Amino acid sequence: MQQRSGGWKVINKWLGEKELKPFKFQEDAWKAYLQGKSGIVNAPTGFGKTFSLFLGTVIAWIDAHPKDYTSKTKNGLQLLWVTPLRALAKDLGRAMETALQELGIPWQVGIRSGDTPVALRAAQKKQMPEVLIITPESLHLLLAQKEYPKVFTHMHTVVVDEWHELMGSKRGVMVELALSRLRGLRKEHLKVWGISATIGNLDEALEVLLGPYHNNGIIIRAQLKKKIALKSVIPHEIENYPWAGHLGIKMLPQSLPIINDSQTTLIFTNTRSQSELWYQALLREDPMLAGALALHHGSIDMELRIWVEEALHNGILKAVVCTASLDLGVDFRPVDSVIQVGSPKGVARFLQRAGRSGHQPGAVSKIFFLPTHALELVEAAALKAAMEQDLIESKMPVLLAYDVLLQYLMTLAVSDGFHGSEIWEEVRLTFCFQHITEEDWQWLLAFLTTGGDALASYDEFKKIEREGDFYICRSRMMAMRHRLHIGTIVSDAMLKVKFMSGGYIGVIEEGFISRLQPGDSFTLAGRNLEYVLIKDMTVLVRKSTSKRSIVPSYQGGRIPLSSNLGRMLREKFNEALSRNTKDPELLALQPLFNLQEELSHIPKANELLIEQIQTKDGYHLFVYPFEGRLVHEVMAALLAYRISRIQPITFSIAMNDYGFELLSDQPIPLTLENAKQLFTTENLLWELQTSVNATEMARRKFRDIAVIAGLIFQGYPGKHKANRHLQSSASLLFNVFGDYDPQNLLLKQAFNEAFFYQMEEARLRETLERIAISKIIITSPQRLTPFCFPIKVDSLRDTMTSEKLEDRIKKLIVNG
Amino acid sequence: MVGEIFHFQQQHWHLLPERAIFWEEEKALILSDLHLGKAAHFRKAGIAVPAGIVQEDLFRLQQLITRYLPVRIIIVGDMFHSRENNEVQYFKIWRQQFAHIIIDLVKGNHDIMPDTVYEQLQIAVHDTLTLRNIHFIHEPCEDNNGYQYTFSGHLHPAFVMHGAGKQRLRLPCFYFGRHCGILPAFGHFTGSASLDPAETEPVFVIAGKSIIRAQ
Repeated sequence: MQQRSGGWKVINKWLGEKELKPFKFQEDAWKAYLQGKSGIVNAPTGFGKTFSLFLGTVIAWIDAHPKDYTSKTKNGLQLLWVTPLRALAKDLGRAMETALQELGIPWQVGIRSGDTPVALRAAQKKQMPEVLIITPESLHLLLAQKEYPKVFTHMHTVVVDEWHELMGSKRGVMVELALSRLRGLRKEHLKVWGISATIGNLDEALEVLLGPYHNNGIIIRAQLKKKIALKSVIPHEIENYPWAGHLGIKMLPQSLPIINDSQTTLIFTNTRSQSELWYQALLREDPMLAGALALHHGSIDMELRIWVEEALHNGILKAVVCTASLDLGVDFRPVDSVIQVGSPKGVARFLQRAGRSGHQPGAVSKIFFLPTHALELVEAAALKAAMEQDLIESKMPVLLAYDVLLQYLMTLAVSDGFHGSEIWEEVRLTFCFQHITEEDWQWLLAFLTTGGDALASYDEFKKIEREGDFYICRSRMMAMRHRLHIGTIVSDAMLKVKFMSGGYIGVIEEGFISRLQPGDSFTLAGRNLEYVLIKDMTVLVRKSTSKRSIVPSYQGGRIPLSSNLGRMLREKFNEALSRNTKDPELLALQPLFNLQEELSHIPKANELLIEQIQTKDGYHLFVYPFEGRLVHEVMAALLAYRISRIQPITFSIAMNDYGFELLSDQPIPLTLENAKQLFTTENLLWELQTSVNATEMARRKFRDIAVIAGLIFQGYPGKHKANRHLQSSASLLFNVFGDYDPQNLLLKQAFNEAFFYQMEEARLRETLERIAISKIIITSPQRLTPFCFPIKVDSLRDTMTSEKLEDRIKKLIVNG
Repeated sequence: MVGEIFHFQQQHWHLLPERAIFWEEEKALILSDLHLGKAAHFRKAGIAVPAGIVQEDLFRLQQLITRYLPVRIIIVGDMFHSRENNEVQYFKIWRQQFAHIIIDLVKGNHDIMPDTVYEQLQIAVHDTLTLRNIHFIHEPCEDNNGYQYTFSGHLHPAFVMHGAGKQRLRLPCFYFGRHCGILPAFGHFTGSASLDPAETEPVFVIAGKSIIRAQ
């Protein structure tokens, strides 16, 4: 590869002046790009992955305009750069502008996101910059504008940054759909590239990006490895360290030396509420941190978040407590340490977070693992081993997301309208919708034009008008409403919290409040509050004097353990049992393992442990497959169902990442004799469908679906009082669809999501097959064991019953 | 369907699993929070909730009428969900079958249509209504208001039961407080709110096709 083009030479000369040399993967990417290929660049952050593609387009531009590339302006949009995070856009834009300036190319670099001012949008509409950095949502907003195809007349390249983050989510589907339209507009002139960190299924990632029918894709791998140093923070007194919990506040003092010894530390927590608590507790523990400590999570005001990010750049912060909100992208150079509080639940996420420190090429990323309960230390050991073996999770692409498709069709309808047959052909070529049927497609169109099956005579449904094969939305009001709702990130409905006597306190997630009983106390904004009632989307409270109050912990914050980590975890327990481990984490836990062994048993890799314990709450059955919360949830329901066919019985079910619990008011008839049969894979699919509380799981999935598909009207920003008559909860919609329109595709989607994404049927089957060849050990400990304790104290519970409703009520009335 | 006759305040109240009360002494059906027209209101705004909910709700009411032959129907507010739409026209036709029955509507916060519409539908609209010193008002009162007893709606009450083995069950209910009783929402396209009654206050839950006294 010595015949380098004029553009390539210009770039090399420019790099040479800065005493830089391109990495091999960058040159590989330029070469592939100049050959007209599409593909994916796989490189860790901090090694110039942006330039591997950006400079490729610049080289091509110089090659195409060798004489006047330093003077040609107003060329129209050339390169569209899709990024998942608004925060990334600014940095990217700066880096590109600097390079262009130094190269003497008068291209404009524009940013388009929710934060872009109206005036700038208008200016962009008149004259598009040559490079536009955009979020998936803003890209769809562009498609919702009148005459949008004009914007893309000269565009030849789309780059999707952080594709590994996008592709497993519905935002990834938004990207797929937008790409299908851009391909439809630009045909073979369009090159599509992704940038991805390492994931288990990079080949599939390429297929999702380019569609299942592409044949010109290439994966360019940077053979660079980031050095990561993982150190566990081991509790000083393991004997007194709590067996359960997810906050880790007790370990907080041990995090202070790390913060003091580092320039800047990021402290990752798994939930927003946890980050709030840690922030407060850190300030209490070390008042010197005031002013040098900040908080960053998704519910925090945008302006404040931007300030925190700027402050991180400038190195004026000593530490930031954050959530996944800081998982991605931007380089904060002063950050040299990361503390992970509690399990990150997956290898990929842990690597990503570790990579937030030591951003310079070649620097070591330092990450400290701080357990929130004793057993979590085993996860640290498992993570270390998984990292050594490069066991990185795959991202499962989303299939048949009808909700996103409905939103997309509405988007096209509010701009210029669309021809059904044209869009049908484009949509079918995406990975997500490659298996969509003609029938489903017709249903979706009918849903938007007639509102589904309706008694036409007096129906007033209005949304999209149909003129032959042409579909368009002519209502300005609906178009405006739709533009405000484009997107797939659905945060839990936030309810305002007010005192009965008036006085605003803050906002809280609906899901949390729905689990409270009137009279319960909870903490918000540092106050103890008693829940009185919900009215008109407002939670009314009064001051609480109760000493026991619940700190909001959200379902959404509970990420399930990945199967890779689960397997490693089982191996580590095995290793702990062998008593010749060298892992400091396992050594530290030895007293706890001894107690577990004394009270019950520590399962070997080829054993399944079941504990039967009786307490004042009733009869408990604990099972430990170590397969992660999601698999356990389904397995618990399945086991409960199978036992309930032996005799009428009601269970309440709880689980964590290590195992699950069935709790009943009567003895549970599980014995060594019938155990294997109760875990069989026979009739699995059929029994899953009848046993698992599929309806409840689907109901949870339906919430996001209803919002994305535009069934839940969230009101206009700033106009909180208006349109109250159009408010309804997703749960209520789920009920009426189930009762009156059971064939609804969105309802089916909810069940599919519950079965395939949540239940992970395949993984469940593997687990059951593993159990079939395992030895089952049943113990009857006299008291709660270190293994079962964290499950037992979990307050989120499901129910499974084979008793009649009337009988259950009567029992509840007698006992309750 | 199995109801439960509750003898209370010297009157006979038939609590019905169809989410209504039949008041024997007055030969009156009492119900609350129908939210008629809610589905149509949503559909008009482009939100494709299923059509057909209103038919089911009114069919249920029709069955109650033919079974109990009431002389009047008392609706304790939120009969219609919002402004006039075609489901209101559907109700108008439905109403003609029972032209002889008095319909008393105690106005709720959702009942915002102009007076002339109610006139055309032969609905007598009241802010509050009192019969035999039993008072009807949409929003529940907490204190003694001087009447023998009060019935309200508005809250769409549900009752949560707990039991051994950490079991939990939540069902719509009739609630009888010291001064004020609250009816379940009659309409199907309505949510519900959990109540926390004192142990001495009677609560009847609707368990599918029967009524069960929970406390």
